[in-house]
Amino acid sequence: MIKYIAEMPSYTYAQKAVKVLNARGYSCEMIRREEGCGYNIRIYSRDKSVFEILEKYRIPYSLKGNGGVT
Amino acid sequence: MIYFDNAATTYPKPESVKKAVMSAVANYGSSGRGGHPIASRTSAAVYSARERIADFFGAEPENVVFTYNCTHALNLAIQGIMCKGGHLIISSLEHNSAARPAVRMAESGKIRLSAAQVYNDVNRTVESFRKHIKKDTKAIVCTIASNVTGQILPYREIAELCRKHGIVLIADGAQACGIIDVKLTDGINILCTAGHKGLYGITGTGLLISDGKYDIPPIIQGGTGSSSQSLSQPVLLPESLESGTVGTAGIMSMKAGVEFIEKLGIKRIFSHEERLCRILINNLERDRRIKIYRNKNSEYVPIVSFNIGNIPSERVAAELAENGFCLRAGLHCAALAHAQLGTDTGTIRFAPSVFSKEDDVISLASAVHRQCKNL
Repeated sequence: MIKYIAEMPSYTYAQKAVKVLNARGYSCEMIRREEGCGYNIRIYSRDKSVFEILEKYRIPYSLKGNGGVT
Repeated sequence: MIYFDNAATTYPKPESVKKAVMSAVANYGSSGRGGHPIASRTSAAVYSARERIADFFGAEPENVVFTYNCTHALNLAIQGIMCKGGHLIISSLEHNSAARPAVRMAESGKIRLSAAQVYNDVNRTVESFRKHIKKDTKAIVCTIASNVTGQILPYREIAELCRKHGIVLIADGAQACGIIDVKLTDGINILCTAGHKGLYGITGTGLLISDGKYDIPPIIQGGTGSSSQSLSQPVLLPESLESGTVGTAGIMSMKAGVEFIEKLGIKRIFSHEERLCRILINNLERDRRIKIYRNKNSEYVPIVSFNIGNIPSERVAAELAENGFCLRAGLHCAALAHAQLGTDTGTIRFAPSVFSKEDDVISLASAVHRQCKNL
């Protein structure tokens, strides 16, 4: 069911991203990154507009592999 | 003891602040590090404090940096913004927390420094800053209110001046935050303040709040709980300026302090404290030997600085302490402001809090009058 995993630059931005997306009806959660210290967010949606929302709120992120698609 | 040294640190603290500290010590570990349950709930709590404080000052949560006092915040801001050199302007009323890092940078040849005179006239003060602006002026450091007299500087007008000239405004809000409604929308680029004064947090707390428009290169590097594979310091706020484990108990105390202020209302707090100042002034003014450092053309936060004749301020404060009153005398770590006032041996500073009582102010005035009789 997970559709995207975005790597976040810090806990603060991960938390902000989760709050911003949850407030707009997107299901997502923060997880601890397996490689090295850091936090990712799991986004349970196919809708690419989630990234437009992150950009609108100036929340930096990066997508690994296949555009972050899992 | 009756405490009137709230410009240094507010005392006592609200019950909610004490509870928040106890709860933090009992329940929290490290923030932003690790994924186990205690780390997770600590990180969530710290983020919630960031959000609450950001909302209070009209900022974004990621631009709220937790520091250990206002001096720490001012050093991060001044040394960070000026790290590549340039010209800096400070006001003639700056506390040593701003003046010393500025002078240190100037003495080591890293920057050029000017001090703009502050007057009891808004236009003259703004013009004084404007006259010092040069092509390479990078920043103005300006206290919002003097920690000696409480004089409020025209910081909104100075912010507008900075905006017109593309200059960073670093504001010292130590005596203003929690007393007057300071917001980043006033035009402040970087607001530095203490958590343990008007915000009612515990000692060892401070804030640097940025509008996000200017990079603030860190002067301290270390562990941030993020990008650990890189040996370079992260560039994004707040972690770039928060190396090392943050003081969770202090942060939670600031959050509780801000909630306490919001519940009471900042205007109500100001009104109560200023009324107490007015009572003291009216009472002390009856004796012409008492000099009060206020001017009718200026506005003030609730602080009253005074002297009794030529008696050294420390002697007056010591005698008041023997009578049960805690007031700060001397130079208040603000040599520039005292030089401007012409008070070489300092002043006695009265600074009430929301918990101060009218009867205690009247008792203080009586104690001061008793000292006058012994002149």
